[in-house]
Amino acid sequence: MRPSRRTYLLIWITICLAAVCGCGPRKTPARSKVVTLQFWNGFSGPDGTTMERIVRRFNSEHPDIKVRMQIIPWGTYYDKVTLGLAYGGAPDVFVLHCDALPRYADSSSLSGLDDLVAKGGLSEGDFMPRPWQACHWKGKQYAIPLDCHPQGLYYNVDLFKKAGIVDEHGNARPPANLKEFLADAKKLTVDTNGDGTPDQWGFVFTWLRTNYVTVLSQYGGSLLSKDSRESTLNTPQARAALDLMTDFVGKYKIAPRPEGQDAWIGFQTGKVAMALEGIYMLSSLEQQKNLHFAGAPCPMFGKQRGAWANSHFLVMPAKLSAEKRRAGWTFIKYLSDNSLEWAKGGQVPVRKSILASPAFRQLPVQYEFSKQLPYVQYVPASISINQVLPFADAAVEAALCGIKAADEALAEADRRTREVLARE
Amino acid sequence: MKSRNQTLAAAFFLLPYATVFLVFVLAPVVYGFYISLHKWYILAPRPEFIGLRNYRMVLGDDLFRLAMLRTAFFVVMVVPAGNALSLLLAVGLNQNFRGTAFYKVAYYLPVVMSVSVVAILWRWLYSTEFGLLNHYLGQASGAMHHVLPKVFPASWKTEWLNNPRTAMPAIALLSVWWGAGGNMLIYLAGLKNIPRQLLEAAEIDGASPIKRFWAVTWPLLRPTTLFCVVMSVISSSQVFGQTYILTGGGPYYSTLTVILYMYQQGFGQYQLGYAAAVGYLLFAAVLVFTLIQFRLLRVKQ
Repeated sequence: MRPSRRTYLLIWITICLAAVCGCGPRKTPARSKVVTLQFWNGFSGPDGTTMERIVRRFNSEHPDIKVRMQIIPWGTYYDKVTLGLAYGGAPDVFVLHCDALPRYADSSSLSGLDDLVAKGGLSEGDFMPRPWQACHWKGKQYAIPLDCHPQGLYYNVDLFKKAGIVDEHGNARPPANLKEFLADAKKLTVDTNGDGTPDQWGFVFTWLRTNYVTVLSQYGGSLLSKDSRESTLNTPQARAALDLMTDFVGKYKIAPRPEGQDAWIGFQTGKVAMALEGIYMLSSLEQQKNLHFAGAPCPMFGKQRGAWANSHFLVMPAKLSAEKRRAGWTFIKYLSDNSLEWAKGGQVPVRKSILASPAFRQLPVQYEFSKQLPYVQYVPASISINQVLPFADAAVEAALCGIKAADEALAEADRRTREVLARE
Repeated sequence: MKSRNQTLAAAFFLLPYATVFLVFVLAPVVYGFYISLHKWYILAPRPEFIGLRNYRMVLGDDLFRLAMLRTAFFVVMVVPAGNALSLLLAVGLNQNFRGTAFYKVAYYLPVVMSVSVVAILWRWLYSTEFGLLNHYLGQASGAMHHVLPKVFPASWKTEWLNNPRTAMPAIALLSVWWGAGGNMLIYLAGLKNIPRQLLEAAEIDGASPIKRFWAVTWPLLRPTTLFCVVMSVISSSQVFGQTYILTGGGPYYSTLTVILYMYQQGFGQYQLGYAAAVGYLLFAAVLVFTLIQFRLLRVKQ
């Protein structure tokens, strides 16, 4: 609907008033030695509380730096960051997901960190190689990885025990490979009231994209070629991975057809025995009463190990005063040094020293998921990844929901991906 | 001199609106065209002039063509049904009976609601497990099952918004409901403008109510109909909120409408030049279509 004349008039009056009221002389802030840093992230869940605690401690330990944290939910976070970087108002330190780094780095919006890293304080040797490598774009480093959040297997301990899937000590035994996974899932899919549709499922697809990337990487495939220039969505690996996922629903009948976001609630409420989800879902399970669950690395569905992962990267904008950049670096180092605290809130740290510490090993699910760090799979680094991912999503959704055959859907996604890549 | 004063006064009164129109409508329209001639990634330091290449790319983009078809499908469903419903309501309310004001308000209320409210409301209606629609249709089917067991299953439900066949019709249905009240008022005004004596003369000549409608009301209502049809074609080709909130374009692109695609390109991918070209192509299509409608429905003087 078009706005009416009255609306325009109101806008006009508002603008006039704003012009009259807003144009007073600006007061210049008093000079002080304290550097104030604006720190943005999207940690709107329990992770935000953890981060707030770390920031408060940093502020009390660093009287010369004041970090002001602003939490913007991820849904609108990247809009704010992008507009801030493009038209001013960007924060001084902020969080980017690993897959978002290329497009910001490629448009020279981020501050290169090579000089700061070279000066020391953080050594490459203490970081897991995959997250560290992903902080680079075209040979330059733009970020420090705060964490890595791989996908792993969550399983319901009670349901496993009830189905008799236990080891010699009587503990629930998660499946390690496809054969075990299918056998377990079959046992765990139960139709109690006999109406033909199971009331308890062995497995459920939650986020199709990440589930697909995990299976795909285990078949040796990827969404894009190594140099991110070609689509590899129409390859035998891509088809095999999607066929397997489709078979979970159609042939093996161990998972319901994916239907929106309610799938995770099924696991939370004990109606589903297994799900592949990120470590960040941990806190939503810990809050659930009467749910006994555990975590394990993703089962090996294909011929090699693999697990989708993403990371929170700490970055600074290209336009930043030397003073703030120095302060920002101090803050980034502090966050990385204290990422054990961060891990407790449901993350996997990427510092080898922290991963090896007894304190970290006491976090059972984090520790299990962290075993996958050597082979985690990020989505391909590409400035077009945001365009490519929805094509893959649509293909996976269409195949699993029976809208289109898997090979047809992948061929279409492949064609569209090629078109988009050719545009760049 | 007086006329000059009047002109000045007129200009004075027009100024606020003209300014707002220039700043917030015309300038963005022109600027949008300028943007569409560039490779305009929001973070790129300098947009690159590429002439009409965005247009060529958009026309070659099968998702854009798909979105055009989906939008056309939506318009074809919504405009005739919506206008028929509005006219029917208007004719009904034009009869003099008690409580017309109540019904006017009742039918007009949906128009006042924002699209988010409407979409969330209907999401509940369409919900597969808990939706009212499935509940009643399932009950009806269950009842009919006793009579015709082969045709009607004992328990029945469908995934309105998750099925590529039903998703767009479902969105069209809610759009008809949402927009009917607006055109109803315009039709009602048109009906009130029809001279009573013509209808009375027809009545005296012995014409039935239906005959009177087709012979007198319908031809005289033509300018109103033209206006309503044109406006609803324009507004329904810009459908966005419903698909954005309810389906996000899915399942499998079945509800991907042009403005939604433009939004995804512009504010999802920040490819502003590409998005602007999508917008301009839709504008061109709607303009051509509107001119055709004017030709077809023009009142012969």
